[in-house]
Amino acid sequence: MTVHSPAAEAAPQPKRRRLRVDLTTPGLLGLPVTWLVVFFLCPLVFVGAYSIDALHGPSLFGETHKVTLAAWHDFFHSSVYLGLFWKSVKMSLVVSAIVVACAYPVAYYLALSGTKRKYVLLLVLIAPFLTSYLLRVLAWKVILGNRGVLNSFLFWTGARSRDHPITQLLYSRFAVILVLAYIWIPFVALPIFVSLESFDRRLLEAAGDLGSSRWQAFVRVTLPLSMPGVIAGFLFVFIPTVGEFVTPSLVGGTSGYMYGNQISDLFSTGFPDWQTGSVLALFLLGVVALLTAALTRFLQFRDVATG
Amino acid sequence: MDVALSKNGRRVLRVFFGSLVVFLYAPIAILLIFSFNDSQLPTFPLSGFTTRWYHQFLTNPDLRGALATSAFVAAISSVGAVFLGVLASIALVRRRFAGKAALSALLLSPLVIPYVVFGISLLLFFHALGIPRSVVTVVVGHVVISLPYTILVIVPRLGQIDVALEEAAADLGANRIATFRWIVLPLILPAVVSALLIAFTTSFDEYAVASFVVGTRATFPIYLYGALRFPSRLPEVIAVAVVVMIVSLIVVVGAEVGRRVAERRLGAVEA
Repeated sequence: MTVHSPAAEAAPQPKRRRLRVDLTTPGLLGLPVTWLVVFFLCPLVFVGAYSIDALHGPSLFGETHKVTLAAWHDFFHSSVYLGLFWKSVKMSLVVSAIVVACAYPVAYYLALSGTKRKYVLLLVLIAPFLTSYLLRVLAWKVILGNRGVLNSFLFWTGARSRDHPITQLLYSRFAVILVLAYIWIPFVALPIFVSLESFDRRLLEAAGDLGSSRWQAFVRVTLPLSMPGVIAGFLFVFIPTVGEFVTPSLVGGTSGYMYGNQISDLFSTGFPDWQTGSVLALFLLGVVALLTAALTRFLQFRDVATG
Repeated sequence: MDVALSKNGRRVLRVFFGSLVVFLYAPIAILLIFSFNDSQLPTFPLSGFTTRWYHQFLTNPDLRGALATSAFVAAISSVGAVFLGVLASIALVRRRFAGKAALSALLLSPLVIPYVVFGISLLLFFHALGIPRSVVTVVVGHVVISLPYTILVIVPRLGQIDVALEEAAADLGANRIATFRWIVLPLILPAVVSALLIAFTTSFDEYAVASFVVGTRATFPIYLYGALRFPSRLPEVIAVAVVVMIVSLIVVVGAEVGRRVAERRLGAVEA
């Protein structure tokens, strides 16, 4: 008969015991890692090969080619491509700034006002982000057109005469920035909310007790402590928008044309130039990778890497 | 004194929150209104109620074909991504191995690549290997895109489960597969389901990557993008937009609520 000693039962069990060395780890990682190496990393290597003409497109096998850095040289000496890149960076920065400026107060309200239904309200805020991207762009196309919802509403109410619609609404840089900001605001509220929600509220009380005003407490306590969320939010907008080509092609016209459109056009059926396109793509990837590496410790998923 | 917010501050922020929600939902509401408007052009004044745009899209074979293709692509790619994601998550949470940081960075890296770059890289890759573009190449790309999302959903859930449960199963003679099937899988099921839904909706809505590797069978976003060039198809597209948006809102909100409820219940069992 076994007797359970109460002392042994009460002894605290360490929650995570040391795991034995496990031979199935390669079995678990094999498939996902192989998938990404083959279908994610390899294709990028191919882009590198095309960019130096080691591979040649659109007709591949047959002729042999000399490796050349000509396309890279041309790229760095071309005011057109670099100018377009700079324009996209500026547009993307404007979008990110607008988005963070709109998302921060909202996240602040949800996290710190003590409202009871903050998770319900958060879901209300985020839900539009989870519906179709393309369809939300479509909605703005319908609204902003010269004979669209907004202009026709103005004609109808007599606020503007039918001969003078507001013409700069659609197919402009303004339209691209508006639509991109519209798309990303809900998503960016999330990391900012998380960082505001998780910091120790007693720090604020302490600041108040020590005589700081609300504004001082915000600038010296709340804002610095929520910076990880702000930076994560900024990255989450900047990275996809700087390479954006779908929204500008739908609502941007010529003045809203972005770097991503140039890449896409260099691979389209009109006048393809895969070598130059590869250079442009790798340059964008390099900039984004550097930015991510520099700011990655602020990203929310760092726990996964160390978990 | 409430150091975070004054009374007026709270009022101002509440108004701001309200106006932002209006801004976010107004375009969707406008589409809803004009989907029932009896006119080719979405303009004011409204010209009467009709459901013919809904009838029209329900009987449009191209549109229905595109929806079916997208459903197929999304189903296959979400199951694939979740399968790979569960394997990777177990390794990341439960195993120790050299190079973990580097491998998890690789597994999450598709999150931060601009889609235009990934799209053209797949195009060049398949072209160089002589693989024709088709529904299959779209699925391949969508699995890559969805995989990190599935890991981000499953890893935290797996981390909450006490290893002792798995060890107890092993002590009682269950092999690894049985332990997974009877212990781990039921406990992570809510996360697996929400990972499936996220991967499904990601794929169903994905245009940028698909536009480079799609073959002759258009997915729904590809069809939609093409249809936007023809004003005559606009009302029909608006009607379909309303249906897709409302369905995805219901699915996503329902899934989130369901996951919370299920995890609370499982949490009670584990405690």
